[in-house]
Amino acid sequence: MAATVRVMKRPVRKSSYIRATLQGMALTFRHMTKSAGDTSTLTLQYPEEKKHISPRWRGTHVMETHEDGRPKCVACGLCPTVCPANCIKLVPGEDDQGNRYPIVYEIDEFRCIFCGMCQEVCPVEAIHVGQHYENAEYTRASFVYDLDRLMSQTHPSTLLWDPSDPAGE
Amino acid sequence: MAETSNAPETVTCTIDGMEITVPKGTRIIDAAAMAGVDVPHYCYHPSLSAPAQCRMCLVEVEKVPKLVPSCSGTVADGNVIHTQSEKALQAREGVLEFYMVNHPLDCPVCDQAGECKLQDYISAEGPAMGRGKEPKRVLGRDDFGGDVLFYADRCVMCTRCVRFMREVAQDERLTVVQRGSRAVIDTFFEEGLEGNLWADNIVDLCPVGALVSKDFLHKARAWDLDRTPSVCPNCSQGCNVRLETRDNQVMRIKPRPNAEVNDHWMCDYGRLNYEWINRGARIEAPLVMDGGRHVSVSWSQALTRLADALRDSTAGVRAVVSPFAANEDLGTLRRVLETVGGGTGVFRCETGEEVPLPGFPTLKLRTDRAANVAGAEAFAFTRAGGTDGTGGIDDVAGHDGVIFVLGDELADAPADFGSRATLFVYVGQFLSPAARNAHFVLPSTTFAEMEGTFTNVQRRVQRFWPALQVPGMARPAWQVLGVLLAGISEDAQVPGTAAEAFAALGAVGAGFAGLGYDDLGAMGRVLPQLGALAEAGD
Repeated sequence: MAATVRVMKRPVRKSSYIRATLQGMALTFRHMTKSAGDTSTLTLQYPEEKKHISPRWRGTHVMETHEDGRPKCVACGLCPTVCPANCIKLVPGEDDQGNRYPIVYEIDEFRCIFCGMCQEVCPVEAIHVGQHYENAEYTRASFVYDLDRLMSQTHPSTLLWDPSDPAGE
Repeated sequence: MAETSNAPETVTCTIDGMEITVPKGTRIIDAAAMAGVDVPHYCYHPSLSAPAQCRMCLVEVEKVPKLVPSCSGTVADGNVIHTQSEKALQAREGVLEFYMVNHPLDCPVCDQAGECKLQDYISAEGPAMGRGKEPKRVLGRDDFGGDVLFYADRCVMCTRCVRFMREVAQDERLTVVQRGSRAVIDTFFEEGLEGNLWADNIVDLCPVGALVSKDFLHKARAWDLDRTPSVCPNCSQGCNVRLETRDNQVMRIKPRPNAEVNDHWMCDYGRLNYEWINRGARIEAPLVMDGGRHVSVSWSQALTRLADALRDSTAGVRAVVSPFAANEDLGTLRRVLETVGGGTGVFRCETGEEVPLPGFPTLKLRTDRAANVAGAEAFAFTRAGGTDGTGGIDDVAGHDGVIFVLGDELADAPADFGSRATLFVYVGQFLSPAARNAHFVLPSTTFAEMEGTFTNVQRRVQRFWPALQVPGMARPAWQVLGVLLAGISEDAQVPGTAAEAFAALGAVGAGFAGLGYDDLGAMGRVLPQLGALAEAGD
């Protein structure tokens, strides 16, 4: 079915694109002349160069460990309780020395909103958010970080407060 | 102040500005509770003696020179009591600071965290910061035997556990050893609490995390649990309990006070026997035998076909029911049986040794290890089989009429159970080999997934509430059978709620006539007419 399109009549002055194009090109030309001789670059040579991130950057998690390689986590259950995105799965248990520890500790980094409340609430400074933003994976499933993955993270953990002045005074 | 009462049996006092009249001899702490004032306390428990040794319940009474421990002090006429006065608060803050001298700050790994009285009182009226600089005493933990673990560091020496074992269990196995700051709870012998059926009550009594259950150790945090009032299904005593659930699993069972049934206590058998409630592999859809195999169909199809088959049936009916089924389920089945011309029904019940609680003789672990034996008998089902809950269904197995099975798993039934029946209806939770012969398999809920009532050994009808989600298309048996009944009977209504199903039981159950959920109340209701019998047989 052929559609009939009524073309409305407009004054050439208002409908012509030539004037707007020339205005745009003039702006580009002004910037060109203004930056002539300026050698500073705005482009970051990623990935050879990495962007500087704030010490309070909240990225994917890190589990701190004791010197003997055990996780510092005591499975108290505060982080799954406080987590607003409900992304932490924890099954507590007891190790052979009678210490409470996490049998299962998983964080779904897709569900995580990186608020950092898990780190804030942790009574033993075990779980931390990390200074990291390169999170690409090949599968969705590998975004569920288990305890081994969290303990073997290589990036530094984030400081949400100054250790010498924890109350911010 | 209003005029004081001259009657000898009551006294009037003022607690935090509220005037209250209580019986003479009432403890200040109980009078305060009646006035809605919660006085902190550790050693006091309404069902134990009050040694007034924790010093947590100190309150100020006007014209009394010293602060009064409200658990041992009784209310006198005209007393003006201040629980929140500066003097009382200061004293209690001091007491709490002393408690924290040696109490470890291990709340993150302590099972009591979230339901701990020390946490509660410290945050309510304790000092903001501790002043202690000395290292804390470290004692470690001790296995007390049975289900009980003892963390000595966390103990506040309230001695509720010692007094429970002495006064209620009347089996003195715990004592305080050493004196002063070295005092610690200990067992007399190697076996500790092993073998005492009531030992787990001291875990409930412990206001802190010193006594914890091995079964519940590290299993769930107190604040994650959903608590549903229920009735213990594991014996015919019908202790009032809370089912504490998380992620649709029962995590533990805790007693709920009912002065007429179980006071504050329950036995370890009932408390630890809950795994069967969490059992998986349930029947999740109605199944109908079609050409030699089960086909899952919708509820309306299954019940329409069943009603048609039942309406045309003229054969005799026999039933096997479970004593774990609710009154509503059993009574509605009885109504169905009456509609199709009556029929005999049996139940099987595992039995065991009766174990009384010496300090509260009303409470015993009863011989019948199922919740609703009295209910099954009230609806004219008769006991069959042996003491292990098996056997007794041989005449049903070969019956060539209609067979109804309600809730009984038929675990011990021969594989050809019901194969000669003209109509075999299985209403239950699990598809055992014998149930595979059924023409209709209708999935029903366990007591933990439905609202209903049990009748206990005192013939007391007590309500329970749904704690778990229903698996698949399973429905409470009273609903399934109620719809079926409306299909085969002209004058039966489909019950919309458990309350309606219960209200309709009067026609078939002696004593249920005229009884509704509103009449049961918090304590349950002993069935009329038969109450005297219950006393004699108790």
